Parts: sequence; structure tokens; C-alpha cells
Amino acid sequence: MNKILKLTLILFLVCAITAGVLGVVNEITYQRIEEQQRIKTERAYAAVLASDGYEEVPFDQEAFPTVDLINRCTNGAGYVVTTTFSGAQGSITMAVGVDNDYKCTGISIIKHSETSGLGANAASSSEKGVNWRAQFVGEDENVAITKMGGKIDALAGATITSRSVANATGVAIRAVESLG
Amino acid sequence: MNIKKQFTEGLITNNPVLVQLIGMCATMAITTTLFNGVGMGLSVLIILTCCNVVVSAIRKIIPNEIRLAIFVVIIAGFVTIVDLLLQAYIPALSDALGVFIPLIVVNCIIIGRAEAFCQKNTVGASFFDGIFQGLGYTLVLIVMCVFRELLGSGRFGGGLIDIVNGFRFTLDGTGSGIQIFPEDFGASILTLPFGGFITLGLLIAIMQYALKKSAKKKEAAAKAEKEAEEVC
Repeated sequence: MNKILKLTLILFLVCAITAGVLGVVNEITYQRIEEQQRIKTERAYAAVLASDGYEEVPFDQEAFPTVDLINRCTNGAGYVVTTTFSGAQGSITMAVGVDNDYKCTGISIIKHSETSGLGANAASSSEKGVNWRAQFVGEDENVAITKMGGKIDALAGATITSRSVANATGVAIRAVESLG
Repeated sequence: MNIKKQFTEGLITNNPVLVQLIGMCATMAITTTLFNGVGMGLSVLIILTCCNVVVSAIRKIIPNEIRLAIFVVIIAGFVTIVDLLLQAYIPALSDALGVFIPLIVVNCIIIGRAEAFCQKNTVGASFFDGIFQGLGYTLVLIVMCVFRELLGSGRFGGGLIDIVNGFRFTLDGTGSGIQIFPEDFGASILTLPFGGFITLGLLIAIMQYALKKSAKKKEAAAKAEKEAEEVC
């Protein structure tokens, strides 16, 4: 009995010390991480549809569960949609620009966990990634990869990633259309 | 245990991947570009060294029954610290390695070294063990990355080297690498997980062949010496 108590106490102490250290590290890095995330989101917005400001607009969240928020561009250029959906390895967070004719003005992936060298090319700033994302400009709500009858060439070795990005872009455009 | 012996053990005779055959999962998954290999190797090296030092420092007060649970807590702690620091201060590297960092928690090299080495050795020896085993791991990753990237997509140094605007190192993983031959001629199967298995299998085979050969040579030399003694 005494022995079990001793073991429990030691394990508890080790966990408590570790948690304490992690708490301190988190306290130090928390604000910087938030800041980095904010800069990244801002950059993504500016890349898909430039505007001097963005304001959030309400939408039907039940009809579009994967859409996080819709921002109207204050300069009247259109909307930027943030959407989170399943990729091949985990969830992908992406910004989609939609103009007033409900055409895609560009996509930018903010956060993902796709396979490096394959699906991750969809988000990379390399020539391959930039060219791949450029295909989405001008597409409408029926955007799809060639395999599904659309015009987007899927990334080699990353059909699932490509398909889910194309689908999510379509959903984002439809969400903006539903605003009327 | 002296440092020189630890060095050869970590890099060659007791290499974590090629001889101990641990940590192979991540090795096969990430070795598609040189950038991934170097980044993952260095992350493991840092975490391994930190964990080794802490584990050996408290080795005398850890009860035997719950040592594994304690090792896991310590490893997970260090991995989270490195992850948070990378996110805050080197976001570009964190983006590129984002998926692999949490994977280090389940990388058996770290728990393997804690169990097999640090439990029985001093803090100093464990520190060097962490560095040399980490280097051995990084070395294997680099060899695999170079092999797979070159034959798979005809490139060298993807992510780490950029030659578009003159030769420079890119630490944010954006460099396109040096194209040795057109990508279309590459055996792109090598960049897929299947290619990882093949490459690692070949490397292990070469390593085992070399180790056996050197062991035989040593044996033969010892035998010759013995015979010479007998003749005298």
C-alpha cells in the first residue's frame, strides 16, 4: 500500500513539474504564436482578394457547416471566406476570395497537415504550388478536378487533397451566393 | 565509456536506424526532400539530447515500476516545448515541419535511448550519446533524402537550397533545389512511401554487409596473430 502511494506521488510530481514548465513556456510564446497566426491570416486574405478592410457578415451556419466566417471587403470588391474542411491527413483551413459575380479570385491555405512533398504542395509557396492554386482563379461554384469532370488538374500523388480543396472552394462560393 | 567510442557507435556500429532498427516509421515518411530530413534530424537531435540529460540526471530517484510512464511524460514535455518555441520564433520552419514535430513523441529512438542507455550512465555520457545518436539519425535521413530526391525527381537539396536568384540557403523551405535532370525522367515512385521502404531496405542491407565484412576482417587478423604467436 505504501509503495503504491509512493509511486503515485512520484509520478504526480513528475507530471506536475512538466505541466508547470509547459505552462511557463506557453505563457512566453502564447502572444507571439497568436500574432504569427494573425499575420498569416491577413496575408492569406490580401493574397486572395485585396481590400483596405474586412467586416464579418452573418450567414446560415447550419447549411454550410465547413464555413467558419465570411468577410465582406469594405472596398466592395467581394467577399473572403474562411473555411475548415478535411484534407487527406487532417483538417485544412483555407481563405477563398469570391468576387461580386460569384467567381473565385484566388485561394490561400492558412493551415494544413498534408503529406510533405505531395499534398503539401497545394499550400507551398513554390512555383508548383503557386501555379496549382492559380487554376482556381475565375472558377465558379461548380469547380472540380478533371477526374470529377472539372477543369482543375489534380496534384500528382495528392488526388484527395486536390479534390477536397476544389470541393471546399465550391462550397465557399455557394455560401457567398446564399447571402443574396 | 569514452567519447570516441560513443561517436563511432552512434554514427556507424550502433546506428539507431540501420543497426538498432528503431525510428524507421518517421524515417520512411519524411525523407522526400533534403529540407525535411535536415529539419527532422536536428529536431530529434535537440530533443534526444535534452531528454537524455534529464533522464540520466533523475535516474536514481525514478522507481523502476513507473519508469516508462515518466520517460513518456518527459519526452512529451520537451517535444511540446520545442514545438511551441518553433511556432513562436521560427514560424517558417514550424510550418514546414508542423506534422513531424508531434511525431517525435512516439519516435522510439528517444524512449529507446532513455531505456537502454541513460538509465545506466552518467549525465555526461548521456549528453554525448544524445548528440551522437542524433547525428547518426540525421546522417541516415540525409542519405535517404538525397537518394530519393535525386532518383525520384531529379533534384538535389529541395527546400534547403535555391538557385533561382543565385545560390543561397533557404531556411523557410521555399527553395526549389538544384535540378540535376528533368523531373519527368525521375522514378517518382521513389518519392512515395513505397520508395521509402525500398531505400531503407537497401541501406540496411549495405550497412549489414559492411559491418559483417569488417567483423570478418578483424577475426581473420586476430587469427593470423594467434597463428604467428604459435609459430614463434
